Order: sequence, then C-alpha cells, then structure tokens
Amino acid sequence: MPLAEPITPGVVDWTGENPGILLKNDDGSFAAMALFFRVAWSPVGQGQVLLLYASPDEAEASAEAPNLMLSDNHDLSGYLLENFIGRLAAFRDAPAFTGLTHLVAQSVHTSGDPMSHRYSETVSGEGYSVELVWERLETPRALELMPDQVGSGIHTMYTVLVPAQSAQIIVNGRSLPGKLGTRVQAGFETTTAFLYFSETWIIPPVDESRE
Amino acid sequence: MTRQSINPGRVDWSGENPGIYLKHSAEDENYCVLSLFFRVVLSPYGKGHAAIVLAAPDADKGWPDETNFIITDNQRMMRWIVDGWVTRMPTFIGRTGLQHMSWLNLDSVEREPGDLKSDYREILRGSGVTLEMHWMDMGEPLPVEVTVENSATKAHEMYSVFLEAKSASISVNGSRLAGTVQSRQFFGRSMSTAFLAFSETWVTPEHLQE
Repeated sequence: MPLAEPITPGVVDWTGENPGILLKNDDGSFAAMALFFRVAWSPVGQGQVLLLYASPDEAEASAEAPNLMLSDNHDLSGYLLENFIGRLAAFRDAPAFTGLTHLVAQSVHTSGDPMSHRYSETVSGEGYSVELVWERLETPRALELMPDQVGSGIHTMYTVLVPAQSAQIIVNGRSLPGKLGTRVQAGFETTTAFLYFSETWIIPPVDESRE
Repeated sequence: MTRQSINPGRVDWSGENPGIYLKHSAEDENYCVLSLFFRVVLSPYGKGHAAIVLAAPDADKGWPDETNFIITDNQRMMRWIVDGWVTRMPTFIGRTGLQHMSWLNLDSVEREPGDLKSDYREILRGSGVTLEMHWMDMGEPLPVEVTVENSATKAHEMYSVFLEAKSASISVNGSRLAGTVQSRQFFGRSMSTAFLAFSETWVTPEHLQE
C-alpha cells in the first residue's frame, strides 16, 4: 500500500513494461529465457527491447537457438544491459550474457488481453521472429518492492504483476523446449512466466537504501 | 507506516494518463480547457486509448457546437473510467461539459515521443477530428504513490511517474485552443498544469470494494 508521503524519494531509472518467460530443464537449470521491455521513459528515450537466451549455457549460440537482443532503440539496449540486466544474477551469470547478438527490431506486435486468457508480444527483425505467449493468466496484483526484494538489489520498484500458468517462447515458428517453474516474489509463490505492467525502477537515496 | 509489498487491493486499470489544463490568465479561478489522454494497457474492459477535451467546460453542448468531446477506441472501458475516475477529479467536478461531451470513435493514435525532454506529442484521429496534444520542456520524472486520502478520486490508491511540462498546447483540426499552462500546488510543490504520467496504476483498497 502506498505510504503517506506521496512523492517517493529517489531517481527514476526507467519505467514501462517488463514481462518475461523462464523455461527450465528437468534438472532445474534454465532451458530458455526471455525478457521483453517496452520502456516509456528512460534517460535514453523510449523503446522496445527483446532479450532472448535460447541457449543460456552457450556463449556462442547457433542461428536456430540464438542468444540475442532485438531492439528499436540501440542506446536503450545498451542502457538496460549495463544498468539493469547485468544486475540480474540469473541473466548476468549465464554464458549467453557475453555472446549476445544485437539486431534491429523492425516490428513489435501485441495481441490478447492481460485480463483475459492469452497475451502475446511478437518481435521481428533481421530474419528472426520471436513470439512470447502467456496463457491461463491470473488476477493482476500491485507490488511495491524494496531493494532487498528485487533482482537488481539496488532499486525500489512498483509494478503490476499478472502471473501466467502456461507460456511459450516461439522462435521462427518453433517452440523452445522447457517448462515453467515456480518462484517466490516478496513471499508470494508464483510462476516463471509473468506480465509486468506500469513498472517503475527507482534508485533510492543513499541513506534510505542503507536502512 | 510500513510498506505492504503485495497490495491487497484490487488493480482497476493501468497505463498512461497525461493531461493539459489551460487558463486564459493566472488570475482566472477556473480552467478554460481541460484535457486528458489515456493509454490503458490493462482493465476489466480490455485495452484502449482515449482523449477528453473540454474547451467549453461549463457549456451544455458537445462537438461540433462546442469543443467538448471524448474520442476513444474502447467506449465501454472509457464509460467506466469517466464514471469512476474523471467525474471524481476536483478539476472536473461540476463541469457541465463533462456530462454533455460528444463520444467520438478513434481510428488511430500516434505517439511522437521526441527526446522525452523538449517535446512529446500524442496525435489522435477519428470521426473527422484530428487532435494534437503537445507537451514541451519537461522536467525530471517524479515517482508518486498516493493513498486514498491523497488521491484525486478519494476512492483509490494510485502509483505513477509524473513529468511536468512547462509549456503545452492542444490543437483540434489545426486550430490551437486558447489558454496557457499555469502552475498549481501538487503534493506540496509548485508544478505545471501540463504533465506526462507514465506507468499509472489505480487500485481500489479492500475496504472500499463493493
């Protein structure tokens, strides 16, 4: 619930949408990972970025199972990679992180309804079409998380979470292998497929972040 | 008061909700133009876009007799938002034009974000109307979290990121509406009456749910 002081102390790092799908192997390791960013404000402008690890354990992936960033704002890709994705251990520590291919997104298409059954984002460019599909969507929840509750470890974050019970990552018509797992966010058990809307990442003042 | 990480309230809608309020002069009590833009990404009635323009807020006439209209690609969603939110906002309470505005169909909406500092536009077209909302000279983004007591509707909690625009204009079919941006008190600060509002989420707390 919001605090009585209406202006949150800190500096906005970026704000927008940040859904994702993490597929796992039977041994619990990641089989495929994807994050999509639709950024409404950042210091380097608006834009849309898809991060895909179709081969998380490969620094040099094949064309059929690529590790790539597809973006309509090159500066935004670099900003997110350095300031955000590089702080998320699951992404930073994967071999794929160092071998990403950067491509230009020529189209981004959204379909479905986040308060219905199905929602998807399709990002295409330079020979790739990547579709992220979320299904069996749950009721949206508003979250307010502190730095010790977020992957980056340094931000205060507001968001609207819509968990999905089913999801696919489809690359050029082929569904990547793997299945959803579970995760716990702020004490709430959810899945590794999630829509996040109206998400704001705030760097708190130094004194507050030490509390 | 400590934070509750998972808000127990009901998420009503989420998206973008910038606005431009104009006066003929700083001494005027009332605004001569009220306008809001909506880019809704999540609601019980789906997604959609809309803009409300009341250039004759106290007139009991809609478009084209007066420039009082709402233009939207999701009328059902916007009927719900107008009734539940806009009519409760102090700036709109009691303004006759809100009850008499025409409901127009939106064919397209186009965003020209510029560099997010000097220039930002939303251009809407439909029903023979081209509406251009233009924000200029933006400040730094300001994250806000608002309790029911502090919220404009007095019935919801709200999260958003505001950027004040030191100047702004509204044009309908190429004609610029009269009036200029003024300053107002906003949570203890003096801020412009033109603003961008990204990542805005409205929540009904448990105790106010029907």
